[in-house]
Amino acid sequence: MSDNINFKDLWAKQTTIVPNPENLIVEIKKMKQSNLRKLVLTNLLLIATSIFIILIWIYYQPQLLTTKIGIILTIIAMVIFLFAYNKSYSLFKSHMNSQSNSDYLKDLLAIKAKQNFMEKTMLNLYFILLSLGIGLYMYEYTSRMKPFWGIVTYGITFIWILINWFYLRPKQIKKQKTKLDAIISKFETVNDQLNA
Amino acid sequence: MLVFEEIYKSYWQKIFRLCMGYVNDHNLAQDLTQETFISVWEQLPKFRNESSIGTWIYRIASNNCLRQIEKQNRFPKAQLPLNLMEEKQHNIEPRIQFLYKCIAELPEIDRIIISLELEDIKQAEIARIVGLSEANIRVKIYRIKEKLTQKFTSNER
Repeated sequence: MSDNINFKDLWAKQTTIVPNPENLIVEIKKMKQSNLRKLVLTNLLLIATSIFIILIWIYYQPQLLTTKIGIILTIIAMVIFLFAYNKSYSLFKSHMNSQSNSDYLKDLLAIKAKQNFMEKTMLNLYFILLSLGIGLYMYEYTSRMKPFWGIVTYGITFIWILINWFYLRPKQIKKQKTKLDAIISKFETVNDQLNA
Repeated sequence: MLVFEEIYKSYWQKIFRLCMGYVNDHNLAQDLTQETFISVWEQLPKFRNESSIGTWIYRIASNNCLRQIEKQNRFPKAQLPLNLMEEKQHNIEPRIQFLYKCIAELPEIDRIIISLELEDIKQAEIARIVGLSEANIRVKIYRIKEKLTQKFTSNER
């Protein structure tokens, strides 16, 4: 019987080279910069689009209220998207990871559930506002066209919105959900180990 | 800064072993150890001695291991762009390898508990790190050791 295997002894024999702490600090700074760059880049695209729309407003001076409402709705849609994107970054508070494993797992599960809800709601809201905004915005310009071309323009836009709503949106939601669900179920399994 | 370097030097190996017990993959364990110390570096100014520094670091390290689940889904392999010295796993005794392999095959929480136990951490402290009662930890450690002994005896037969 080798009942007295000295596990502690074996365990302690696993060693590795300790890298220089200076390197780590340099890397931390680099990493922080690249994270920030990523955040700025995503937001930049949306900000640029919003500025572009505002410039159109100033340049073309829309007459009808519908156009103005349309522009505002479109911008709100983008702000919501931006907000949701940034928010999912900050849901996870860094100080959380100094809690006990069991508290940490509970928090992670809560965050994932919140993310699941938020991603779906925000995406729906984004699509609704964007579609409404574009629909209203177009009215002023389409009304100046001949009825035939007006109908064609709206028809095409409408089809595009339908594709977005019934194909792209569910696909996106499903993609996010599958990813999150897999993580959640794995976290739940680990959480159950604590209660076993 | 001086404090960080002291912590770094006295805990690097220990945290590495904890991560190694969790993933049994040398490179990944290095990455996880790095991430832990990045967290430690960032949060050290906020550390208030509410728990001992050891408990605090082990909590960060084990939680980081648990979060590995999420990252595995995101990237095929978590990797920080660090030029660590290339290090071959030079002739590690097969028994050591076998021990780490067995531990990495346990359920996640058990991996953390046994790694801390083998690192000679008091059961009361393990209880605080994991968030279970001391009695519960004692029972778990007993069962895990039994399981490991079984695996070892059947392997060496």
